[in-house]
Amino acid sequence: MTSSGQIKTGNTAPEAEHKALPQGYGTTEAALLPRDPNWMFLYWEITENSLKNLRRQRGEDVLQKGRQVIRVYDASGSADGGAPSEYFDIPVMFEAGSWYVNVREGGRAYRCEVGLSMPDGSFLGLVRTNTVKLPGGRVSDVTDENWMAVTADFDKLLQLSGVEYIGKGSGEVAKSLAQRWEMLRAVFSRASSWGVSSMSSQAPRKPEQEKKFWLVADCELILYGATEPDAFVTVSGRRVNLNPDGTFSMRFALPDGAADLPVKALSRDETGSRGIDIKVTRATLNDAE
Amino acid sequence: MPNKAKGYLSLVLHAHLPFIRHPEYEDFLEEDWFFEAMCETYIPLLDVYERLTAEGTDFRVTMSITPPLCNMMADELLRERFRRYYGLRLELAEKETVRTRNTKFYDVAKMYETKFRRIRELYEDYYHGKVLEGFKKFQDLGKLEIITCGATHGFLPLELRKEAVHAQIKLAADDYRKHFGRGPRGIWLAECAYNPGDDVFLKAQGIRYFFLETHGIIYGSPRPRYGVYAPVYCPSGVAAFGRDMESAQQVWSAETGYPGDHRYREFYRDLGYDLEYDYVKPYLHQDGVRRNIGMKYCRITGKVGLHEKAPYDPAEARELAASHAGNFMFNRERQIEHLNHFLGKKPVVVSMYDAELYGHWWYEGTDFLEFLFKKIHHDQKTIKMVTPSEYLGLHPDNQVVQPSMSTWGDKGYNEVWLNGTNDWMYRHLHKQVERMVELANKFPNADGTLKRALNQCAREVVLGMSSDWAFLMTVGTAKSYSTKRFVAHTHRFNGLYEQIMGGRLEEGYLKDIEWRDNIFPELNYRVFSTEETEKAAKN
Repeated sequence: MTSSGQIKTGNTAPEAEHKALPQGYGTTEAALLPRDPNWMFLYWEITENSLKNLRRQRGEDVLQKGRQVIRVYDASGSADGGAPSEYFDIPVMFEAGSWYVNVREGGRAYRCEVGLSMPDGSFLGLVRTNTVKLPGGRVSDVTDENWMAVTADFDKLLQLSGVEYIGKGSGEVAKSLAQRWEMLRAVFSRASSWGVSSMSSQAPRKPEQEKKFWLVADCELILYGATEPDAFVTVSGRRVNLNPDGTFSMRFALPDGAADLPVKALSRDETGSRGIDIKVTRATLNDAE
Repeated sequence: MPNKAKGYLSLVLHAHLPFIRHPEYEDFLEEDWFFEAMCETYIPLLDVYERLTAEGTDFRVTMSITPPLCNMMADELLRERFRRYYGLRLELAEKETVRTRNTKFYDVAKMYETKFRRIRELYEDYYHGKVLEGFKKFQDLGKLEIITCGATHGFLPLELRKEAVHAQIKLAADDYRKHFGRGPRGIWLAECAYNPGDDVFLKAQGIRYFFLETHGIIYGSPRPRYGVYAPVYCPSGVAAFGRDMESAQQVWSAETGYPGDHRYREFYRDLGYDLEYDYVKPYLHQDGVRRNIGMKYCRITGKVGLHEKAPYDPAEARELAASHAGNFMFNRERQIEHLNHFLGKKPVVVSMYDAELYGHWWYEGTDFLEFLFKKIHHDQKTIKMVTPSEYLGLHPDNQVVQPSMSTWGDKGYNEVWLNGTNDWMYRHLHKQVERMVELANKFPNADGTLKRALNQCAREVVLGMSSDWAFLMTVGTAKSYSTKRFVAHTHRFNGLYEQIMGGRLEEGYLKDIEWRDNIFPELNYRVFSTEETEKAAKN
C-alpha cells in the first residue's frame, strides 16, 4: 500500500495524541537526519542537569550572556579525523527541541552542535549530533573510463531515463492525480498509489556552469512574540514552547507565494484567548531566469 | 527457443499492507484494508496466474509480498475473519442477482456473484485458506519471483543505528525462508528508500538485487553508462535496478493513463451508500455506519456528479482492458526497439507499481495484466519478460556505481516520512532502538519469561518502525489510527523495558501484549545485538 503520498501544505501539525509520549528521556543527546539535498532535521534534548553544570562552570548568567545557536559544520573533510573547516550558526532557543536546517550545498556531510555562542567569540557546545551525508541531487561529475559515453549521448540517455518526467512533466501528472487523490481521501480511509515522484520544489542551486559574475540571494522568515509565560501558544496550529519570560520566536523557510501564520494564545486557566493572524507574501524576480 | 528479443521487460508489483490485526475487538474497521486487497488484488492475481498456467501461457512477474502481509495471510484469526468477510459479500451478491433481475444492473450484480464464488473456490478448494501456498506454487514453477521487504516496511534512511537496518533485513529473510522454503533473491526496500551502504546488510542475507527510483540510479556515481536500462552493482556487489518512468507514466498519467477511462468502474459509487439501509445493514460494520463495502455498480461515466453515473458494463470494460494491454505492449515494443538502437545493447525496462493499484484502485487492472501477459507471449517477438534474477543470470557483467540516496516518495527524498506531521516520532523510535540494542547486548543468552519479554520488545520496536505510520500522518488519512499505533507500540516497548531493567516482569502484562502483537512468532531478539550486526556487515 505504500508508494508516495503527496505532501500537503495544509496538513502540517501532528495529531494531538502524540503528547501521550514523554517529552524527553532525561539524557542530553541530539540526532541529525537527512531530508533531501538541502534540508536536514535535527532534534535534541538538553537536561536541567547539563544546564546546571554549565552554570556552575561558566557562571550563573552564562545563558543570558551567550546566544543560543545550532552550529552547523561542514564535515565533508573531517571523515579522516581533521576538524570541520566551515560552519554557520542558526539562532534558536534550546527549548525548541528540534529544527529544520537548510544548507545551500547538497552532496556534502554535515554535523551539528547545539550550544552558546559567547560575546568573546568562543563557543560552548552542549550537545552534538551524528554526521549526515546528504544526497547530491544531481548527475555525478564522475565518469567511469570503462563505461564512458560521449556527453551528448549521456544527455539523451538522461532524457530517455525520465529526467524530463522527474523535473517537469510529473508536475502535471501530480496535479491531476492530486485531484483523484483528494477524492480517494474523502471517501476511503486509505492511501492511494501514486507512482510518479516529483522533485519540482527543490531549493535552487548555484548554476552548474560557473559564470564570472554571480549573485545568490534568499530570504527566510522569523516570527516572534510574547505573552504570559504560562499561556498555551500555537502558530499555524502547532504548539510553541515559550521562553521563561513568555517570549517566543520561530524561523521558517519562506518560499514564493502566500503564507498564513495564525498565532493563537490561550491563558492557563483557559478563560482568556487572543489571536494575531500574520499573512506574508513573497515574490522573487530574478533577472537571470 | 533462441533469444531474439531486442530487450527485456521486468514487471514488478509491490504488495504491502501494514500489520493490522486487533484480536481485542470483534470487528475492526482497518482490518478491512487487508480483506479488500485480498478480494480485489491478491486472490484475483492468483486467479490470473492459475488461468495463464492452465492455458500454457508463459509469463514472468516479480512480486514483493512483504513480511507483514505474509504474517497476515498466514494468521489464523485473520483467516477466519476473511471467511466471514467474503461470505457476507457472497450472500449479498446472491441476493442482488435476484433484486436486480430485469434491470440494467443485472450484469454487474451477476459479475460480483461470480467473482465472490470464485474467491471462495480458490481460497477454500485450491489453497485451503493458505494463499501463500498459492504464490509459492507459481514461484516454484518459475513464473513468479517473490521478493521480500524490510521486516515491517521500515524506512531505513532515517535510522541512526545499523542494528536497526540489520534487524529489518534479517527478520525479513528469515520470515521469507519460513514461508517459501528458500532464501529471498531480491528485496523491495520500503518506499524504495535507499541509504548508501545499507546494501551490505542485503548481501549478508544472500539478497542479490533491489529496486530504486529513477534518480537513485541516474544521480549515482560514477555516471551510469546505460541510465536505468541496465542494473548497476553497488560497491558491495548487490545489484540495483532503476525504475522506468515512461511505463510508470503510461498507467498513471492523467491524459493518457488507462484507469481514468470513462468505461471503467467508478470507485466512489458504492452499494454501502446506495442500498436501502435496512437491507444493507447486515453487511456494514457493527456500528451500522454506511461505508464502502467494495461492490460498485457504476462506470466512471465522465465529469458528472456521483448521482449521474451510468451503469457499469463488465463485458465492455474487459474489452477495454484488453485494448489498453495492447497499447501498453505496443509502446514497450517501440521503447525497447529505440533503446536497443540507442544503447547498442538489450535494455531492461523495469515497470514498478503498487500491486494494489491492480484490482483495488483500478478494478480492471488484473484483467489488464492477464491480457498483457497473453499478448506478450503470443503476439510479438521484440520483448522478453524476465525476472531480475534471470536478467542477472543472462547479463552478469554490469557497471559498478554507488547509487544516490533516494525514495519513490513525493519530491524524491525523505520528506514524506519526515515533516511537521511526523518528525516527533523519531526521537522515540531512536530511543527504542537504542534500548533494544542495549537489551540484546546485555542478555546474550536469556531464556524462559525473560527471553519471551525480550522477543516481545523486539516485536514492538519493529512494529513501530513501519513506514506506514509516518506516511499516513503525512497524507492525513487514518492519521489518528497511525498515531495511536505508533504511541501504543512505544508504550508497550517502554513498559516491558522498564520491567526487564527493574527485574520485575509481570507475566500477565507480557501475555496480553504477546496476544495482541503476534507478528514473527519465531523471532529471536538477538537480531538487534551489535555483535550480530557487525558480523553481518563484515560478511
